[in-house]
Amino acid sequence: MTGQQTAGHRTRTPARPKVRYLLLHAYGRGGTIRTVMNQANSLVQAGWEVELVSALRRRDDLQFPLDPRVHVTTVVDLREDARTPAEGMTGRYREWRRARLTERPARHIPPGEFGYRYFNRYVERRLIAYLSSLRDGILVTTRPALNFLAAEHATGGVVRVAQEHMNHGTHKRDVQRRIRETYPRFDAVAVLTERDREEYEQLLPGARVARIPNAVHSLDQVPSDHRSKIAVAAGRLFPQKGFDLLIPAWARLVETYPDWQLRIYGSGEKRAELRALIEEHHLYNHVFLMGHTDRLDDELAKASFYVLSSRFEGLPMVMIEAMSHSLPVVAFDCPTGPSDVLTHGVDGLLVPPEDPDALADAMARLMDDRALRADMGVAAVLTAASYGPDAVHPRWEALFGELGTPDAPNDSCEPGEPGRSGGPGASPDLPEQRHRTADAAKGRHA
Amino acid sequence: MRGLGVQLVKPLKPLKPHAEIAEVWPRDGHVRLVGRIHGCPAEGDWRLLLTRRGHTARHLDYPTHVKGDRFESELPIADLVTSEPTGTTGTAEVEVEEWDIHLTDGRARLRAGRQLDDIHGKKKIMVFPEQRVRGLRVRPYYTVKDNLSLECRTERRTEWHTEAAI
Repeated sequence: MTGQQTAGHRTRTPARPKVRYLLLHAYGRGGTIRTVMNQANSLVQAGWEVELVSALRRRDDLQFPLDPRVHVTTVVDLREDARTPAEGMTGRYREWRRARLTERPARHIPPGEFGYRYFNRYVERRLIAYLSSLRDGILVTTRPALNFLAAEHATGGVVRVAQEHMNHGTHKRDVQRRIRETYPRFDAVAVLTERDREEYEQLLPGARVARIPNAVHSLDQVPSDHRSKIAVAAGRLFPQKGFDLLIPAWARLVETYPDWQLRIYGSGEKRAELRALIEEHHLYNHVFLMGHTDRLDDELAKASFYVLSSRFEGLPMVMIEAMSHSLPVVAFDCPTGPSDVLTHGVDGLLVPPEDPDALADAMARLMDDRALRADMGVAAVLTAASYGPDAVHPRWEALFGELGTPDAPNDSCEPGEPGRSGGPGASPDLPEQRHRTADAAKGRHA
Repeated sequence: MRGLGVQLVKPLKPLKPHAEIAEVWPRDGHVRLVGRIHGCPAEGDWRLLLTRRGHTARHLDYPTHVKGDRFESELPIADLVTSEPTGTTGTAEVEVEEWDIHLTDGRARLRAGRQLDDIHGKKKIMVFPEQRVRGLRVRPYYTVKDNLSLECRTERRTEWHTEAAI
């Protein structure tokens, strides 16, 4: 349905707005970066002009595949060799000023933002200058800190979309407050799950909240045959991912299922603590910290089920990728994502959050029963299909097409998008058109 | 290798006979090893053989229980305490020596290692805890070739120096 609409839209509006994605660190390795690059690749392949703007740059190379037609720029380059030595009085003054501002804390980013430590006055001012310079096209900002800056400073005429990858409840209070204050200024707020859409809609009266899940990079994956005695978990070795709950859960199973292995993929600052936990439970023959891999697809295909032990999530993409390999999932029913994706007993097992005993019982159920793993695996592939690029991409095109061409006839209605009360000139059965000028005015009032 | 379970992954070239390690248990002052004799008949009287790297004459051996091709053996780490100079220079605060592990029936000598699974880079992935006895710290580890050895660190000087050197 949406695909046809998009195709129709494409023929009628040849001049589409340029789409700019602002990322904190496009050269990093996180889930947000990966999904934004998937989006950028899809859009540029469909003929859109796309730019990726990296607020910071710490590496030389991008970590995920990006279509060469996507233009990548950086606002603040932090690489050692990126700085040219200061020349002359003005140059030395600039250097001195930069150093001074770098030492001062950010003013517009609340300390509760998980990325707060990457910001300072210098980064903030450079970003504000960049955002203020934008006059046209669509700007997509991808985390609260960048959303806050865009809400206040990208007011020169650019259409603004805030991506929110996290459940509102998992943000710190100061971040929650800024979200309520600033997000209504966006032309659209894009969230990942249905539960988030409902919550943000209640929190942001009058704002347009669209649910568009992230897409997995491919659905064409090698399926597991569910024979191996391997369970896989993946994510940064960080408290959010709850591997400190998963390891004790595995300890409960190891005597009954001694030939099963748990492989945890990812790197991170809690590696030593997790290693100590493995040693404390004498699991060094059964639980392996595998480190980072560039071939997670191959590793998932070798496993028999996937475990998600997170304390919270946005939308757990690796879990969905695992499902595309026909892996059933055992997951904590944490906010948000697992219950949005999984149907308990069909494509996986949902257990009460942060309950290692319940997690162990559910894993035992799958270890005991290969037929159950296979049946749930088939259902998992079907579930993952709705997160494929072909299912997700048209929703972005529809949203951007609609936001970017306010005067064109509206031929796309976001699935799951509530119709807003018709403004002047809007058809009664279509969402209200948002005009850049109106939005810019809102930005100025704020 | 796509879609294959861990037991089914075949190495690129035929493997020499070896003692395939399944489990390593560094606990209670012992290192216990469980595995399978791979690539040669398992009948006979097998012993676990420890040889000190760089000192071929120095070795220790222990009884090994074999049933079918499955073997099980253990060594007390206190046996690895040595009073003789290790050959390292006198400036080192911590002396490191390594022992390689084999299984032998008097004729064949099979290197212990983990060669038959799909995990690459075991040295960093399959990491075992360290045990201490009388100033000696012993840790089993996989070499870059996925063979199993023991690393022994002897604290020769004061604790202060030792900690600083690590």
